[in-house]
Amino acid sequence: MTTPQHTDTLDMMLNMGPQHPATHGVFRMVLALDGEEVMDVIPHIGYLHRGSEKLCEGESYGQVITLFDRMDYVSNINNELAFVRAAERLMDIEVPERASYIRVILAELNRIASHLLFLGTYAIDLGAITPIMYAFRERERIQALFEATTGARMMHNYLRIGGLKEDAPADFEPRVRELLDQLRAGVEEIDRLLSLNEVFLARTKGVGIIDGPTALACGLSGPSLRGSGVAYDVRKDHPYEVYPYLAFKVPVGQAGDCWDRYYCRLLECHESISMVAQCLEQMEAGPIRAAGRRIARPPRGEVYVHSENPRGDIGVLLVSDGTDKPYRVKVRPPSFCNLVGLKPMMEGAYVADAVSILGSLDIVLGEVDR
Amino acid sequence: MASRPAQLVLLAVIAVGVAAVFGGFVFVTRWLGAPQELTALTLVQFAVALLALVTLLAVAGMSLVWLERKELGRMQGRPGPTRVGPFGLLQPVADAGKLLFKEDVAPGEASKLIFFASPLLIMVPGLMVWLTVPLGPTLVVRSLDLGIFFFVSISVLSIVGLVLAGWSSHSKYAVLGGIRSAAQMVSYEIPLIMAILGVVVLAGSMRFEDVVALQDGVPYIALLPAAFAVFLVAGLAEVGRTPFDIYFAESELVGGPFVEYSGAHWAVMLLAEYLNTFLVGALAALLFLGGWRWPFGDLPFGAAVAVMLAKTYLVVAVIFWGRATYPRLRLDQLMGLGWKVLLPLSFASILATAVQQFYGWPAWTLTLLSVGLLAVPIALQMRGQGRPASAYAARLRAGAVAVAAQPRPARAAAGADGASAEEEA
Amino acid sequence: MSEQEPQASAEQAPAERPARHGPPVADAPQVLDARGQASAKLLAQAAGTNAIDSGGGHDVPWVRVAPEHLLAVAGRLREGAFGAEMLHLIAAVDYTERIEVNYFFLSATKGHKGQVKVDVPPEAPTLPSLTGLWTAAGWFERETHDLFGVVFEGNPDLSPLLLYEGFEGHPGLRSYPFNDYQEW
Repeated sequence: MTTPQHTDTLDMMLNMGPQHPATHGVFRMVLALDGEEVMDVIPHIGYLHRGSEKLCEGESYGQVITLFDRMDYVSNINNELAFVRAAERLMDIEVPERASYIRVILAELNRIASHLLFLGTYAIDLGAITPIMYAFRERERIQALFEATTGARMMHNYLRIGGLKEDAPADFEPRVRELLDQLRAGVEEIDRLLSLNEVFLARTKGVGIIDGPTALACGLSGPSLRGSGVAYDVRKDHPYEVYPYLAFKVPVGQAGDCWDRYYCRLLECHESISMVAQCLEQMEAGPIRAAGRRIARPPRGEVYVHSENPRGDIGVLLVSDGTDKPYRVKVRPPSFCNLVGLKPMMEGAYVADAVSILGSLDIVLGEVDR
Repeated sequence: MASRPAQLVLLAVIAVGVAAVFGGFVFVTRWLGAPQELTALTLVQFAVALLALVTLLAVAGMSLVWLERKELGRMQGRPGPTRVGPFGLLQPVADAGKLLFKEDVAPGEASKLIFFASPLLIMVPGLMVWLTVPLGPTLVVRSLDLGIFFFVSISVLSIVGLVLAGWSSHSKYAVLGGIRSAAQMVSYEIPLIMAILGVVVLAGSMRFEDVVALQDGVPYIALLPAAFAVFLVAGLAEVGRTPFDIYFAESELVGGPFVEYSGAHWAVMLLAEYLNTFLVGALAALLFLGGWRWPFGDLPFGAAVAVMLAKTYLVVAVIFWGRATYPRLRLDQLMGLGWKVLLPLSFASILATAVQQFYGWPAWTLTLLSVGLLAVPIALQMRGQGRPASAYAARLRAGAVAVAAQPRPARAAAGADGASAEEEA
Repeated sequence: MSEQEPQASAEQAPAERPARHGPPVADAPQVLDARGQASAKLLAQAAGTNAIDSGGGHDVPWVRVAPEHLLAVAGRLREGAFGAEMLHLIAAVDYTERIEVNYFFLSATKGHKGQVKVDVPPEAPTLPSLTGLWTAAGWFERETHDLFGVVFEGNPDLSPLLLYEGFEGHPGLRSYPFNDYQEW
């Protein structure tokens, strides 16, 4: 039997990524291992850095919307919404109610699609190969609806400063209602398959624990923060668009482990479904774009607006110098800030837990690197 | 990809070929009988039997490839292979062909001799076991009196090949995978053997045919459900199937000990894995499900073989079902399951069997004891993990922070605001 | 409160901006709503005498402080009545004769938002690091150093985050060209 203080062992550096099936994009994680236990984790990002924020300075406001589509490429509508709200606040534009309702419907459907992607990929990271098929089947339904409404399955470019590009198609409401029923069944199917599965519980319960104060200090937000018991949701605390008129629940975890973060996202799917149903009830006919020039020229000034992305708090700092191109656009990407919490979560974890913890943070590298 | 008529022709050729080999195997084993003296004819007999056996096992392995992909596909809501051959039946042929045509690469630093010998070291013990495992009333190369003992002692040898495969690849991932796989397999050998020993105690013989014959009335799964459960779980771990496939988990170790292999060597190791799965299925059918006899008793040769194969494929289908459903266990959880749950359970099961046999109690007492033993870990698991988890989930659902809806502003006011909001630059 | 005019002189701007025709450029009206006013009070309280300038619109009030007072003000924001548990964002904006670093703070439990602006000269951009107060500051500062060249004293790791080692220049600055830059 050897005693630790008498054996001089070297930590083994295990490199995961940037090409690795489980790192959710081009992300590189160097783990310092002592046998099977992780001593330190050094994340390396920047493989997907495209200079989006700098590019925004050379594009007109309408073109910047397309750049935002591609930052978090899984939750496009929510990203567009973040930027468009910033521009509207700077220009003091009030969006017509119907446009706001359609925006929220699409944003919540986008949230469901993003969480479905998380449910599927998290399960397959842990070895369960079936939920990803169910999740993507449901995602296809949502993307078919997006294609009918916005013209594209993913990079929609549908929101405009002041409203929407065009009104929803004539069969929008019945189609969304049918979709909601299918989504409810689909999410429940994945829930039944995964949530209380003994092996899944063994892999996620008690793994990657982070407590509330540490999470806040690290800048976590969204379900990653709510899993630790902090009931902070931008839709609840700083509501925007038509969220004040919707009744919903914000799921909050208690233990701060991977399972809590996973279950918060699952419950949020159900909440989003109910929010979309409420929007359909309250929505009425009307204009979908505020009157204004096609080329936006906001007045000089700056504005900081944050919204609830599926991954957390996306903030947009927009500085305008009065021309038709922004002077500076700075994005606070939720995944970037969530990654800071990786290190506290990895304390005392095993190598196999590293994949579980990283998956539970639900990062999208397009947003982390911009 | 060949055209549909060409595929059908190929399928027909394969079917005829397999039938011919199978017929040859049956002829050699059944009508010529077990040879008593070593003559030239005996050697020819053995050679034909072995060749036929290897061919049939290769076909069986490939049929498992097809079954797994179809079954997993259907469970995931998709059809599985459909294009290569009718119902995708030629998919394994295409896979094998693709793998055989690939370039044989070895890492520069790898020890070439051991690197290329390891797949053989994994495959050969898996093939050797089939000398004594019968698939029908006389469908076996040589029926040994110590058949079960032979299987147990030979099957352990493939662990050596696995470790050498990982070590000789000269890659961090492969070494880790090889060591993990060795640890996993060694720790699950003992519960596996104990489960089989329970059956041996009941049957009083180590010959497979005797075990099958003694299950005429009641199959041993009804008498020893705990042993069956241990056998199945330990068999899963031996083969390296989900939930115990951590050592070559794609998302963690990207292939484990096999990560550096390509082409024909990879095909050999893949086939070895499927053959082992088939072996677990066949053994479960023989030892616990009554083989080719229960519940029909004496059947004509063809029907008996069909019953045996049906039971084997049923167990194999359940194994694949587990792959579709479960995530992977972490290595320490896997070892904990093996040493802390399966090992005591299998020892207790043998003790119960021995006690029942010694005192001559009726059979149903053994069933009762076995079910009781099996209920212990299940109840502990539900109490320790399952119930608290579902209660916790219900708590989270109930404890979600509710946000009330505010009343919307009046319609007229909202319309006026919408129309008046303009910004002329 | 009006913003300082960003002087983007034509020679230094990355994109050629044609001379504007039409009505003169207006300044955005910055009016704080009720929540913003409550936050502004607490922000002013935390900044105290260190506030050079203040303003803000909607629900985000801002104060401007000198670089040497940043650490103290941030500490007061965290410990005091404002209760900023979360450092939301560190954003640098390059107004050619100065680099303005904006710090955004948020109180998750009380719902206050506040912004602290600090001006640093572009030839010697140095600021104290806030990593001692919020772990989130680490990567924000690292990214700002990467893209703008601002040095944060006390940050344990200022190696490039988004760019690769050996990248020359700071692409976030207005003077950095859009096209004619170092290819890998």
